[in-house]
Amino acid sequence: MSVIEIRGLVKKFGKFTALNGVDLFVKRGEVHAFLGPNGAGKSTTIRCLLGILRCTGGSAAMFGQDAWQNAVELHKRVAFVPGDVNLWNNFTGGEVIDLFLSLQSGKADKARREKYLRLFELDPTKKCRTYSKGNRQKVALVAAFTGDAELFVLDEPTSGLDPLMEKVFQDCIGEVKARGGTVLLSSHIMSEVEKLADSVSIIKEGKIVLGGGMSEVAARGQTLEELFLSEYKEV
Amino acid sequence: MLANFGKYSGFILRRERVVSLIWLAACVSAFVGLAAYFPGLMPDEATLNAMAVMLDTPAMTAMMGKVYGAEVFSQAIAMSVDCLSWYLITVAIMNIFLVNRHTRTDEELGRQEMLIALPVGRLTGGAAALAFAVVLNALIAALTAVGLIALNIGGTTVAGALAFGGAIGAVGFVFAGLTLLFAQLFSAARGVTGASMAALGLFYVLRASGDVSGNALSYISPLGLALKTEAFYSNRLSPIVILLVEGAALSAIALTLNAVRDHGVGIIPARKGKAHASRFLQGPFGLAWRLTRTTALWWTVGLLVIGVMYGSVVVDIEDFAADNAMVSAMLEAAGNGSMTEQYVAMLFSIMSMIATVPVALTVMRLRSEEAHGRLEQIIGRSVKRSSLFVGFIVIAFAMSLAALFVTALGMLALSGGAIGAAAVMKAAFAYLPAMWLIVGLISLLIGAAPKLTPLIWVLFGYSFVAVYFGKVIELPDWMAKLSPFGHIPQLPVQEFALAPLAVLTGIAIALSAFGLWRYRARDIY
Repeated sequence: MSVIEIRGLVKKFGKFTALNGVDLFVKRGEVHAFLGPNGAGKSTTIRCLLGILRCTGGSAAMFGQDAWQNAVELHKRVAFVPGDVNLWNNFTGGEVIDLFLSLQSGKADKARREKYLRLFELDPTKKCRTYSKGNRQKVALVAAFTGDAELFVLDEPTSGLDPLMEKVFQDCIGEVKARGGTVLLSSHIMSEVEKLADSVSIIKEGKIVLGGGMSEVAARGQTLEELFLSEYKEV
Repeated sequence: MLANFGKYSGFILRRERVVSLIWLAACVSAFVGLAAYFPGLMPDEATLNAMAVMLDTPAMTAMMGKVYGAEVFSQAIAMSVDCLSWYLITVAIMNIFLVNRHTRTDEELGRQEMLIALPVGRLTGGAAALAFAVVLNALIAALTAVGLIALNIGGTTVAGALAFGGAIGAVGFVFAGLTLLFAQLFSAARGVTGASMAALGLFYVLRASGDVSGNALSYISPLGLALKTEAFYSNRLSPIVILLVEGAALSAIALTLNAVRDHGVGIIPARKGKAHASRFLQGPFGLAWRLTRTTALWWTVGLLVIGVMYGSVVVDIEDFAADNAMVSAMLEAAGNGSMTEQYVAMLFSIMSMIATVPVALTVMRLRSEEAHGRLEQIIGRSVKRSSLFVGFIVIAFAMSLAALFVTALGMLALSGGAIGAAAVMKAAFAYLPAMWLIVGLISLLIGAAPKLTPLIWVLFGYSFVAVYFGKVIELPDWMAKLSPFGHIPQLPVQEFALAPLAVLTGIAIALSAFGLWRYRARDIY
């Protein structure tokens, strides 16, 4: 059964067509990598999937339910980390994490919260204005992993993290996978994707140009990076 | 320590060429321009003497400082007593913003780091900002003095004009030094602004209480000390010298601290924040309250103070209006009834609009959160758009009640029973439907045309002109009726009328509901 089902998704902003018929399916329990250069439509797809943007055409569904109609119910089962984590300057990291958790399900598991704060080495008593980009991402990641969701939607979640934290992140994704969770991971870091992903979709100018299992990629005798570059070389 | 001081100063000059030029032009033209009104306001000895008597009351002394030279009261002395204390505050605020902008703000944003990494001295940034402030203050002082001499209103002397300008420049220098000091102590630019503004407020209160009770507190406050120059009368220079010494001492301490501390941190370590969210910061309503409460609190305090200020005049309103042609024209335009009743009606027609500002800001916060890209993380969680939207509306509704209540309460506080409490409360709360209509319009904009939300300020500006000044400059009646505020019966002078209030409320509810409907169906971006 597909946890994410996006069929023929079209999104227009005025005359500009950002998404021109995206099809994307993610099965339960798999880590699905979502690749594409800046401006190809990754974030727009993710925002439509989360009911932040309204589809112009086609459909986006999670757990078999329409992503726009049932957004509130669906989001109880979903953890989201945006590409640019913008936080409130005068809130502490701890306050934001608690707020996010309260908006998710109502109850925060203290032990899990402590565990992830420690793993990501985040000081929750600092105001968000003092956090670097990486630390703001950690706030969103700690909230996401503490929340114990069924589906993780992650939009370039590690672009500000150092290699040590990158490793911590990969371990956390491994844990999610081990307990049967599903992950949609948009990323530019090919080594990360190769380590984590079971399947992959590549988006180009608002359309999925290539999709399939990682084993199929391996069978073509190319690394993911070679595949990605070959897809964009001919202009 | 001061390497590349010249180039760094040029860099500040380049960044400041617009902002500081506006400050300079605005200050000098206002300081000199307002003085030009005094010959018209107090043309003869009788009006001058009346002014001297009016200024010699505790309320006036607390507001503007002790009156002096009553026996030889001139237009120039009257101008100095009436205006100087406000000019000092203006220049102080200018210096706080100016110095903070080029020191802690740059440091906090990580911009100064790139400059420090070049062959630039550790003190270059601070010293160049201070030097620029000194030049700007000196220019304002000198141009104001020259302007006053050229204007030459009754009682003007060269020594007086120099003392007047000197007091302004010296106070500016003190606040430049003080802000530079706070910029070393605190690690956040907001902290620097907060501490400097708090100091300014404290100095104002010290000056007021010192002047009223005639004790040394006035001398401790730079604002009080500057007034002791008694421009156009004693023309003392010693207060100016003392202020310059104070400013130099503050600057020296600040630069010394600057030389020994680490870049990017303050002498006072940043306080640890809460590791957990409080019980109130939960759910969309808790978030809405947390985001709007600071604005709500400060506006409530502000409205109370403005209310008290206007209310304390009610006792003498009949005398005051007799002396002031513009005020009496406004009062007569307000309709029949006693002078006091007319005053109350006129006051609420303006105060109601001021009190609507925090209500509008509360609803508009929903849009500004979206514009800052922070809403996607909320909507991306299990949050109904309607609860978020309604949360802000509910707080705005509570704010509308609180804003009018504290304004009315403030007016009653020192009015000495000249007006009835019930009448004032009624006059105030009659404006609620107009406030709600503004809330409805903002809801509509946020739901249907979010990018146009700031247009609401155009309606504010229009209402202010059409309703407040409209009657004095005799604009046609329909122009006031285009504003929701023009439909409110001006109690206690006009008759109470339920129909317009009910219609406004109905429209407000309809607009909000429509806004919510559109908000649930649109993109968040």
